[in-house]
Amino acid sequence: MDISLQIKSLLNEAELYRAQGLFPEAKDKYHAASDLIHKIGKLKNKDSLLKAISDKIQSLEKKTAKVETGPSSPELSEKGQNLIKSLFGENDLQKAVVLAKFGQFERAVVELEALLKDDVYRVDAGKNIIRCKMAIASVDDAIDQYHQWLSGDLFTGHQLESIRTYLQPIIDRKGIDKILPVPVSEKDEINTDADSGGIAFSMPEPEEEILDITSIGITFTNGSHKGKMVEFDVNFQSGGTLSLIISKNDKGLIDELKEGDRLDDIQFYSPIAMFKGTAVVTTKTRIDTGPKRGDFCLDIKVTST
Amino acid sequence: MAIFNLKKREIECKVVYYGPGRCGKTTNLEYVFKSYKKQVTGEMVSINTEGDRTLFFDFLPIGLGKIKGCDIRVQLYTVPGQVKYSSTRKLVLRGVDGIVFVADSLEVRREKNMISLKDLQSNLKEYGKSIFKVPLIMQYNKRDLADEGIPLMSIEQMDRDLNRQLKVPSFPGSAVKGTGVGVTLKACLMETLKSLQREFKWAK
Repeated sequence: MDISLQIKSLLNEAELYRAQGLFPEAKDKYHAASDLIHKIGKLKNKDSLLKAISDKIQSLEKKTAKVETGPSSPELSEKGQNLIKSLFGENDLQKAVVLAKFGQFERAVVELEALLKDDVYRVDAGKNIIRCKMAIASVDDAIDQYHQWLSGDLFTGHQLESIRTYLQPIIDRKGIDKILPVPVSEKDEINTDADSGGIAFSMPEPEEEILDITSIGITFTNGSHKGKMVEFDVNFQSGGTLSLIISKNDKGLIDELKEGDRLDDIQFYSPIAMFKGTAVVTTKTRIDTGPKRGDFCLDIKVTST
Repeated sequence: MAIFNLKKREIECKVVYYGPGRCGKTTNLEYVFKSYKKQVTGEMVSINTEGDRTLFFDFLPIGLGKIKGCDIRVQLYTVPGQVKYSSTRKLVLRGVDGIVFVADSLEVRREKNMISLKDLQSNLKEYGKSIFKVPLIMQYNKRDLADEGIPLMSIEQMDRDLNRQLKVPSFPGSAVKGTGVGVTLKACLMETLKSLQREFKWAK
């Protein structure tokens, strides 16, 4: 092909890629055209042509930088945030968490703080606030938040300990030399009262702290899954009680897990450790509303680890 | 995951347009929004774009009316194509029932198509889904650019690159002109509804 036609074709291609928003591809073609022009000894307007191409390349570089350095999750309008909540979240906690997942941390914190009032969501909301603080500001802010809760009375010692065991490994992983104070346990509080000479109540022993479990593997000892380990994600955890969702498609599993069943071989997976233990199926409920309609919610109580 | 309301006989399912950056996913949805007014049941929402690039997702609700006695509603989404938005893509893909993979026909985008398809496979895998089992349709977009003298891959080459193992239905398209948009979506909806029928037996 004639060299001038080649240059024309390259410039045409470059222009089209630029219009398509394919900036690196456009830049490559401009460079190729520029190289060809340099090779031509005598060309009318050679300098002005090279200058025009150089300007185009510069402009492309600016646009590329703008795209690459632009915020990956800019703050959305309230309407946009509401849409994200309604499309991706099912309950109040999920709606708040999904805002954080889309980088809408400020609003997520506001919604999570409101959920701290709800005993069901308090611990998970607290952990997610910690997560947001680390994303917006720093680990130090998350630590400050923990100390603030520690000095207040919003959380029970047990709940706060759950947050501490979530945050401390993160601090350790980041190489920060800070040990979070363990909250005064409910048991210690009772002992203090007894020492003061008041009426001594007989209180149950506090539950042994269970790590945050993200998923579990149940090895079945009978039925069609005998000898097999099936993994389940933990949907919700409250102390030693774990809620799992079993899809309606896993009918075999649903039938094989009955209330009162003792599960003697369970592998627990937490962000910081894997361990074995036993549990009992406490409830099995069919979900009748929402997108998981037809699935089953299984609560199991960890009996030993 | 589709929502099936047995009492009202309603199905709501989710179709996601996937593909590399700048391949024409949003343009597909814009064309559907503009041209299928009867089916469109709400506004098309484009969540934040920077220089015309999708940062979060686009969303368009449509209704197919009654099919076999069931009211079918579909939520159409696009994902952000740029590599750096991997976590957003994964979030949008959650609970997907059908996928349109929009591939760019430009020769210079060959590798990007393949990277994006691998990314789709890996994200589906994380949700426990197989790319071989999920309802999937390919669209080879930007065929109109052949008229501009720009090097495009042949359909055969794109099939070899992207569809050799998958063997899913594929359609040439030009989303900017509307060519192939309807037929691609229709094929995807058919595959999706067939798959939901196998799962829920809704069309009794």
